[in-house]
Formats: sequence, structure tokens, C-alpha cells
Amino acid sequence: MKRHLAAVAILLPLLAACGDANQRLVNNDEYGDYRNGRARNRPQGASAGLVVFGVDKDREAREAAAAGTGLSVNAYLWRATLDTLSFMPLASADPFGGTIITDWYTPPGAGSERFRAQAYVLGRQLRSDGVRVQVFRQTMERGQWIDSPVSTATNSEMEDKVLARARELRSQSAAR
Amino acid sequence: MRKILLGTTAVVGAALLAPSFAAAQEAPTVRIGGFFRAYYGYTQQSARNSTTPSGLANNTAGATANLAQSSLTVGGTTVPTTESNVGAGAGEVARLSKNDFSTDAEVHVFVNGKTANGLSYGAVIEIAFNQQEGRNIVQQRASTGKTTASIDEYYAFIASPTFGQIRFGDEDGPVGGLMNSGVITNFGTGGVYGDRESFVTRQGNDRTTTSPGGLGDNTKIIYLSPQFFGFDFGASFAFNYGVGEDTGCSSNQSSGWCDSSYAFTGASNFGIAAAGPEMSVRRNEYQGALRWRGSLAGVGLSVTGGYVGSGAAKELSPLNVQRSIFQPLGVWQVGAQATAYGLTVGAQYEHGTSNFFWGNPMKGDRPMDQFFAGASYTVGPITVGGNYVMQTVEGASRTAYGYTGGVLTATPNPAGAGLMRRLGYGIGGNYRLAPGLDIVAEYSSYTIAERGRDLDPSNPGVQDRSTAKVFILGTRLAF
Repeated sequence: MKRHLAAVAILLPLLAACGDANQRLVNNDEYGDYRNGRARNRPQGASAGLVVFGVDKDREAREAAAAGTGLSVNAYLWRATLDTLSFMPLASADPFGGTIITDWYTPPGAGSERFRAQAYVLGRQLRSDGVRVQVFRQTMERGQWIDSPVSTATNSEMEDKVLARARELRSQSAAR
Repeated sequence: MRKILLGTTAVVGAALLAPSFAAAQEAPTVRIGGFFRAYYGYTQQSARNSTTPSGLANNTAGATANLAQSSLTVGGTTVPTTESNVGAGAGEVARLSKNDFSTDAEVHVFVNGKTANGLSYGAVIEIAFNQQEGRNIVQQRASTGKTTASIDEYYAFIASPTFGQIRFGDEDGPVGGLMNSGVITNFGTGGVYGDRESFVTRQGNDRTTTSPGGLGDNTKIIYLSPQFFGFDFGASFAFNYGVGEDTGCSSNQSSGWCDSSYAFTGASNFGIAAAGPEMSVRRNEYQGALRWRGSLAGVGLSVTGGYVGSGAAKELSPLNVQRSIFQPLGVWQVGAQATAYGLTVGAQYEHGTSNFFWGNPMKGDRPMDQFFAGASYTVGPITVGGNYVMQTVEGASRTAYGYTGGVLTATPNPAGAGLMRRLGYGIGGNYRLAPGLDIVAEYSSYTIAERGRDLDPSNPGVQDRSTAKVFILGTRLAF
């Protein structure tokens, strides 16, 4: 019996080594953890936690992916902001400072009001507070454009649109 | 045989250390993670109060003489002293509230690196703060708190995509937690296998369950294969039940407390692991598990079959006569689970020679059967689920062992052989407030029953049924 066990113990790893494309290393996260399921709730599995010594390669990779090239702000947020505001004419876009300013725009059928937007992409990280959108509105009164208040929800709705688009872009690039 | 074995090992070693492909070396990183949890618990337990003084349970030592101070006799009248009411010795009674808070935390240290030839390596050290179940009062004004730091698990690993992973250290085995399927515990605190033990007292015996993790994280060497065609397997070996660095010997004379003892006086008391020190008669433990994971028509499937076996330490009389009184541990396990659209269902069945806590049963005792089923459903940040476990196992063992004049005597249990039934279920849910931060609520119940046997000698009469019901509400943070 012992001899058979020894043979099996030697053979199985050798057998395992004979795999090819159908073979992969099982990640540490894929083994159960029956200390009452507590540690399994770690947000990012084995790459969770604070690195106290050494270089955090995962984080570097994440940030590099988010940063793209030639941009000093998050590429997804930048692209998403451009996409979202593209229905307005663009006045200026500075990818290093992270600002996008549109020109005045009058929606079709609303002749007496016009809008302008400023967007700031705030950093390299793809995070929900990484973009700020400010919408300005003017209305025509007695032949003059007068500043008018914008509904408070408009700015955050625009930000939400940007974030949704950024998420879309990120998932597209991740799927590739 | 030996030569062939050594030769083969050398070849494997060489192949393992010199893969044909090159990969960039990575300096090791050290990460800190862990969890904290705090719960409120409401406990209804049939054996919660003790009303009749009774003897100490097996494997628990009485308090030192210093603590168990006798009452004073003043003028012929016995007056209890404050110290005599501390309640550590046998013969005292207590009434317990149903309400309590419980906190627990672990700090985990993860070391990860990669060698120039593509081997990843590292270590995991899990520092726990629940070493002691009870207060350890050595003498007045000298006690150890319940929150003493200790090690839950620690091990080093080396892994290669070609040859898999070797873990070496104090860690669960393939059957004892790493590769099981069908044990659904991903809701609440884990249902019947959850944190209910934090609130249930040992009196009445309805605290301990046979969860996969209960098999123990004794020091072992573990091989975990790569996955190929959906299959992976694991195997482990441990010499004994001991953990950690030292020998475990409690005095200058070698005794059963030493980790590596294979025959000792009083072994018959340790079929069930002693509460506290990681001590049991389990020796030469081996585990093997084969797992398949894949998906069929969008349903994620996982199936595991496994076996755990071990020998047992023998009883050694003071006259140096050695006698085998335990059966080898040998439990088969098969489990399966399926996941689709957030719904996970699973079941597991175990059969083999074991007592109610993964221990070696006495010779002649009946085998253990256990069935577990569970389901959970996750939608957005909410997970709800339930699980159920049913076990039949030998109750009071058929034989009691003792020494008369240094000679081991076997006495048949006068009550005869009793079948113990252990039934439990848990339902619960958690709401994820943020990644890693959960609010949990759970209700669980666990009952043990053995016809005719008094499970709770600390209360009058024969109570052959004992139930503990626990409601838990709290929060848990994993980081």
C-alpha cells in the first residue's frame, strides 16, 4: 500500500506537468477558506491590503493602464468626457491640465436658451470623484443673453454620464 | 525502491527549479490585510445555566490550588470567601444572560515574490487574537486575557504554472477546507458553520460542528496541482496534530502533550481534540482531493471528491504495555455545487470512521455519516442564504478505558451503544455597504440528541437533547 502511495505521489505531479494549453496555475484565491468565510470577503483577493514593503506591481499596472500615454489624467475619464460633451462645439481641451471647455450651444428647438460646459478631469485614477462638470445656462431676455440658474442635478447627471461612458470604455479595453 | 524514489525526486526537483522559459524576477512584496468583526448575539441554549455542580469535563484541568480557595470556617460556620466564588473549579454554578457582544480580528501578512525562472514564492502569516476560549487564571492577579495574540495559520509556498504549488506550514488540507465543493457558507457569518460558536457555551455539548475547517490546520506539507482540463487535485501529509514551533511537551518528562508522542498514558481521552491546546491522538494524517470546475450552459459547476485518513496514538500503560484502542480516521467526502444568475446551490456527503469532531473513534464505534446542503442568492450588494447539516455518529463511546494498578482496563459502557444525532441549520444574509464592509444578520440552530444519555450533567435529571439557537447581528470588515 505504502509503495503504491509513493508511486502515486511521484506520478501525479509528473502527470500534471504533461498538460499544455489547457493547463494553468490555480490562483491562491481559488482555494476555499473555511475560517467562517471572513477573509474571503477581501475586496481584491490576494492583491488586497496595503503593501508595506516592496513595489506594488498590481497597483503600478492598474495605474499604467489607466494613465495611457501622453495624458497626465485618466485616459478613460478623458475620453469619456470628450465623448459625452461632443454634442457641443469644443472651445478648448487641455489633456495635461485635464480641462475641457465647450462653446455656447443652443439645443434645437430651444431658441431662447443656450448652454456651455466646463469639465475637469482631476487625476490619474479612474474613480467616481475624478471628474467635475459645470454647466452654464443663459436665456435670451429682451434681446440680451442673461445668466440663468441651472438645475442643481444637471451637473451631477452629466458627471454620471461621463462615468458610465468611462466604465464602458474600460470594460471594452479589458475585454480585448 | 529507495534509490528509484530518490532519483525520481531529484529529477522532479531539477525540473521544478529550472523551467525552460524565462520570466522577470520580482522582488518580494509584503502586504498587510485581515478582518475585523463585531457582533451582537442573542442566544437561547438549553444548557446555558448550570444548576447542579458537576465534575470537570474531559481534558480540562482544574484551577490551581491557589485559585480554588476553600471557604473559611469561622467559629464552626462555613463562610464563602470572595475567591471561592470566582467560579473556576468544579462544583460552582452560574446563570448566564442571553445577550452578549463578540469581537474578533485577524491581521494577515502576505509575502509574495517571483524568482528569475518564473517560480512564485511567498508566505502567509495570519495573526489571530482569539487564542483562548476561556479566561486563563493562573493565580490571583495573574491571568491571561482572552484577546492574546496567536497564530491562526502560517505557511510558506512555492508555485510554478507547470508543477503546481507546494505549501508547507500550519494550513488547512485539501479536504479540510481548501478544495471542498458544496459547502455553501457565503452568507451571513456562514450559517450553521458561522460564528455562532462565539456565543454558545460548551455545557450541553451543542457547540462543536464538523465543518471542513474543523479538520484542523496542523503543520503539514501540501501539494496542489495546476488545473488541467478543469481538473486539479491536492494531497497533504502531517505527522501529527501539533502546530507551531516547539515540541509541545509540558514538563521535563515526555508525555502525551508532546506533539510527536505516538503512545502515551491517557491517550483514550484525546480522541476528541482537547479544548485549547491543539492536541489529539491523530497521527500520520493524509488527505487527497480531486476537484473539477467548469461550466455547462452558463451554469458554473464544481465537484470535489476527497479522503482524509490517519492513524492514532496508542495507549501506553505505566507498565510500558502499548495497546491500540482507536480506529484509524478515514472519511470519504463528495460534494458538488452549481452557480447561475447569482444563485448557488450545493450539497456534500461524508462517510467514514470519525467521531463528531474529526477525531479517531474508539475501536468498535460506529462510523460517522454527515449530509450538508446549502443555497445562497446574491443580488447586487445583498446575499441571502441558508444551510443545513445532519450527522449521525457514535455517542458515548462503547468502551471506557482506565488504569487499575497500572494495567489498562476496558469497561463496556453500561448505557450501551448510543447513536448521536446532530442537526443544525442556519439562515442569514449580508448587505455590502462598501467593498469589504458588510452588515450581517443570521439565525442558526444546532441540536444534538442521544437517547438515554445525559448530555448536560450540570442540570438535574437526564437531558438527552440539547439545543442552542443564536441570532447574530453585526458588522464585518475585510481589508
